[in-house]
Amino acid sequence: MQLNRLILTNFKNYEFEQLNFHSGLNCIVGMNGMGKTNLLDAIYYACMGKSYFGINDRDIVRHETDFFRLEAHFERLEKAESIVVKVMPRKKKVLERNDLPYAKISEHVGLLPVVIIVPDDTLIATEGSEVRRRFLDNTLSQIDQQYLKTLLKYNHILKQRNAALKQFGEHRKADPALLKIYNDQLLEPGETLHQKRAAFIAEFGPELAKTYLIISGEKEKVSCKYQSALTDQKFGDLLSAAQEKDLILQRTTIGPHRDDLNFQIQGRALKRFASQGQLKSFILSLKLAQYSVLKMKKKMAPILLLDDIFDKLDNERIKHLIQLLIKGDFGQIFITDTHKDRVSEIVTQSGADNQQFFIESGTVQSIQ
Amino acid sequence: MNFSSKLIEEAVDAFSSLPSVGKKTALRLVLHLIKREPEVSTQFAEAIINLRKNIKNCQICHNFSDEEVCVICKDKRRDRSIICVVEGIRDVMAIEDTGHYKGLYHILGGVISPIEGVGPNELNITTLQHRLEDGQIREIIMALSPTIEGDTTIFYISKQLEGLDIKISTIARGVSFGGELEYADELTLGRSIISRIPYRRD
Ligand SMILES: [Zn+2]
Repeated sequence: MQLNRLILTNFKNYEFEQLNFHSGLNCIVGMNGMGKTNLLDAIYYACMGKSYFGINDRDIVRHETDFFRLEAHFERLEKAESIVVKVMPRKKKVLERNDLPYAKISEHVGLLPVVIIVPDDTLIATEGSEVRRRFLDNTLSQIDQQYLKTLLKYNHILKQRNAALKQFGEHRKADPALLKIYNDQLLEPGETLHQKRAAFIAEFGPELAKTYLIISGEKEKVSCKYQSALTDQKFGDLLSAAQEKDLILQRTTIGPHRDDLNFQIQGRALKRFASQGQLKSFILSLKLAQYSVLKMKKKMAPILLLDDIFDKLDNERIKHLIQLLIKGDFGQIFITDTHKDRVSEIVTQSGADNQQFFIESGTVQSIQ
Repeated sequence: MNFSSKLIEEAVDAFSSLPSVGKKTALRLVLHLIKREPEVSTQFAEAIINLRKNIKNCQICHNFSDEEVCVICKDKRRDRSIICVVEGIRDVMAIEDTGHYKGLYHILGGVISPIEGVGPNELNITTLQHRLEDGQIREIIMALSPTIEGDTTIFYISKQLEGLDIKISTIARGVSFGGELEYADELTLGRSIISRIPYRRD
């Protein structure tokens, strides 16, 4: 799968830009703040129907304008796929595939698999459980359209249940019959999420460990364990047992929305025992393992977006990484760097076919 | 919009305060009224005033009605052993249009959605329970929208009716319905009321 052409109108700092990409390696260089990350986010947006950074559509619209448009021409399983996103004032956002608008944006997820790696991704290891669930949901949603549907359904019922708990609190009167119905409605999607997550991690864990060995070139063992209250107990029993607590705290305190991933290095908590370098390698491995699993499940190579991954790495490690990317079994890659000549030199030395772009203040120049 | 007349401006503002009427449409309506006989506008205004002053909720089914009890509830030819539970009056109109249903109705006034501040107490559920007390009702058809909130409401009401000797059924919901009941075409809706499915709670 590859992105051949991208047309941006009023997308972040791009007023109007048309870009043609290489089917293999695309190197995008430019100083910080010039729009490299925005360009990668535009590609991510075309694949997933939203910004990777959770940026509001209103805030993607370029300053002093009131709409944005994103047009992306892909080639997928030897068929052309054109994706258009339109965000206009006072209108619902439109996402079209080959001129046909989707009824729901979520239906688009999984059509064009994508993996993105950005510097802030180290937060996946260091922050609270929400970012790890997001990683898990992101991967599973791309693999399994049914998973995303279940997740949206679960979250919707959960929101209603939490709103009901809040109302009970405000009126100082609970309606146990209504709560019981929400419990029953949560069961099926909750159990399904748990099963799918558990099955996924069973496959993903070994892939992650394997990737880490290649990336780090070292012998430490890393692992990834799925943590869920539903592993040992039935969801229905958990909800019943937590009912009193839920009524007091006015929110649902147990369920798959509290799941977590436990990352370890050499059998110890990654967050506390990994060095900066190990952490960086871990995150890179996590994302490249995500890539492998997606590639296997989707039977096509996802697009790989690498934002500023060479930052604070010495030249030896950069060389090692680029070799890995070139020799590895990847499809189309987009890679950004702040150093004008660093990546291009290493890539050119390696003899890999590639296209280079230079970005300055929202305008892009292809370098021959 | 820049009006030369305060009167026109006020009328445009009034029309455009209605749902899905923009300023342009409002202006067209206003200019149209000015062009026609004065009586047309008087009748128009009177119809609105009359409506607002005299429209009632049926004391039995909560449908909008000119009298204390609506024409459907009054109609002796209708099957008084069966009640179709719906969200609003537009659902009643859609089902009536199919011509396939001859029973009574009960209008809930919405579905349970705590996010929007609608709990069971905000809906006409207690009055439904009262209607079942004399034992004349044999069946209840739940014709609610195929959403999570519709499901919640069906489950909740069924739970409240547990122990009563009443058959509960739901109309076939989902694919054939364009989201809400009122958009379903007559044929599909009519068919799904005839072929309603017994409600089972597992
Ligand atoms: Zn009535």
